Amino acid sequence: MTTASVPAVKIEDVTKRYGRTLALDNVSFEVPPGELFALLGPNGAGKTTLLHILCTILRPDSGWALISGVDVVKNPVEGRRNLGIVFQEPSLDDRLTLYENLNFHGLVYGVPAALRRKRIDEMLALVELADWRERLVRTLSSGMKRRLEIARALIHHSRILFLDEPTVGLDAQSRERFWQYVHRLRTERALTVIVTTHYIEEVEGCDRVCIIDHGRILAQDSPASLKSAHGQELVRLVARDETAAAEIAAAYADRLVRNDKELVLKSSGDAFTEALFARFGNRIRRLAVEEPSLESVFLSLTGRELRDQAAGARELTYEFGKRGGEHTK
Amino acid sequence: MTNPAIEISEKRPSAIMLQLGGVYAIWLREVKRAIRDRGQLIGGVSRPLLWVLIMGIGLNPYFRGEIYGEVRFVVPYTYLQFIFPAVILLNIMYTSVQSAVSTIWDREFGFLREILVSPLPRATILLGKILGGTTVALFHGSLVLALARFADITLTPLDILHGLALMFLLAFGLTSLGVVIANRVRSFEGFGVFANAVILPLYFTSSSIFPLDPSLTSAQTKVVYPEWLVMLVEINPLTYAVDALRGAFIHFYQFDPKLGPIVLMVMAAVFFLIALRDFQKA
Repeated sequence: MTTASVPAVKIEDVTKRYGRTLALDNVSFEVPPGELFALLGPNGAGKTTLLHILCTILRPDSGWALISGVDVVKNPVEGRRNLGIVFQEPSLDDRLTLYENLNFHGLVYGVPAALRRKRIDEMLALVELADWRERLVRTLSSGMKRRLEIARALIHHSRILFLDEPTVGLDAQSRERFWQYVHRLRTERALTVIVTTHYIEEVEGCDRVCIIDHGRILAQDSPASLKSAHGQELVRLVARDETAAAEIAAAYADRLVRNDKELVLKSSGDAFTEALFARFGNRIRRLAVEEPSLESVFLSLTGRELRDQAAGARELTYEFGKRGGEHTK
Repeated sequence: MTNPAIEISEKRPSAIMLQLGGVYAIWLREVKRAIRDRGQLIGGVSRPLLWVLIMGIGLNPYFRGEIYGEVRFVVPYTYLQFIFPAVILLNIMYTSVQSAVSTIWDREFGFLREILVSPLPRATILLGKILGGTTVALFHGSLVLALARFADITLTPLDILHGLALMFLLAFGLTSLGVVIANRVRSFEGFGVFANAVILPLYFTSSSIFPLDPSLTSAQTKVVYPEWLVMLVEINPLTYAVDALRGAFIHFYQFDPKLGPIVLMVMAAVFFLIALRDFQKA
């Protein structure tokens, strides 16, 4: 149905405001079919807003959002048919069993009965939850719930999968397992995956990365090209005392990226590091040279580090609770 | 491991089947959740027991009045018979309105998103949800019928069918009302308080526990009861719902027999449309 020329997802000049805050400012991008595309940015950058517009929970103030060539603003029902979504917060009915949750999804998406049963078994096996089939969802751990949600998103043979911060709140092991499933699925079917995340290490394996902050796209390219274009070798150092820190900062004012607990300087290669050592070597407590990484790409594009912004899973949950759930106004 | 990529050709079901499947899925979920919720069932059983066996039997001997020097039943039925259809109404009312709590639950715990991003139009989603609540309420209403013997009421199958049809309309209207409330009051606590603030006044002013004596002229009625109370009873749509149920179960009407079903249908349609309008905005 989809020809190669039609992008799986296309966003054009999308703008969205919440009152006075500009959540998305003229955002445009395209994702060709079969790509693993990452939206990388700190919390509040507008990633989730963008996904919500694509799955028609929100309407953009202006601009177009197309999924396989279907305008989701004008034709939301048709647009949603091809989507599988794993939301940031759990969206399972925990008083139903695993099977019932998946069956509900299949019915709602109009998957015929025989195919539905087959897919449910297949998907439960894929995410290794087949033994739990008749258990109530409330008895699962959060990692298992996440896996169930991926299984669910694929029951209707969606060709585009949205994953909104899918690994927040998961331990390292579950996170790794989650990505294994995603990669396996991509090789098994022609699946376009769009993932939002603020974990840099998860982005390395993606085909293309779109760095987004304050509702604007700062850069988009493959991780390798981003690193060569915006990446920067960095020197991180902790001075022995505050006077030393001030002196180093003053001496390299033009190279200074950050100056608080530690100093981060732009490096221009080994010669720079050697010169730095020659001058301040005996007044430095700790020093590390950092190869160009996506972290440094983000730093040089925004002047901030992603991990400063990245709230822990626990904080996120607290915050969610304080807001009284997403939809409480 | 099977390879899901093989089954690319997938027949898409017709639009109508898709809608029906969606309504069925949402209906099934509501019903399953209700069955698993023991508290709701206990409420559905204990409420009629309380009203029929204690309140009804207790007040039975006092359902007589002296009017112009003559002691007689105010209406030609015992109090138990008189209150029986109203208890059905009460049970349906509580269950219907309560079933809308699931709307708030879905919003709080994220399941609403799963439904909203599905390829179902909002009207289908709402219809499934309301039919689910209606089914549960209808079941709770039918529980009261088991007490008919205690109220000295004999029911023919035709009476029961007639009654069930009316109860369905009533439950549909009240579940829609519950969803309308749930769309405005978005917290569980607020909903509980608000629902009670709606249910009990509506119930008490629906001429369910006391009749407006039909043998009195409207001028006389206003002498016996204060004018504001008569007005409240007359503008309460549930007055006519109770009247229709009484017509079905004890063949007693205070008003025109056609009025009840009409009011019930209008109520169901209006509340559903309001709920739909709210839901499409949300």
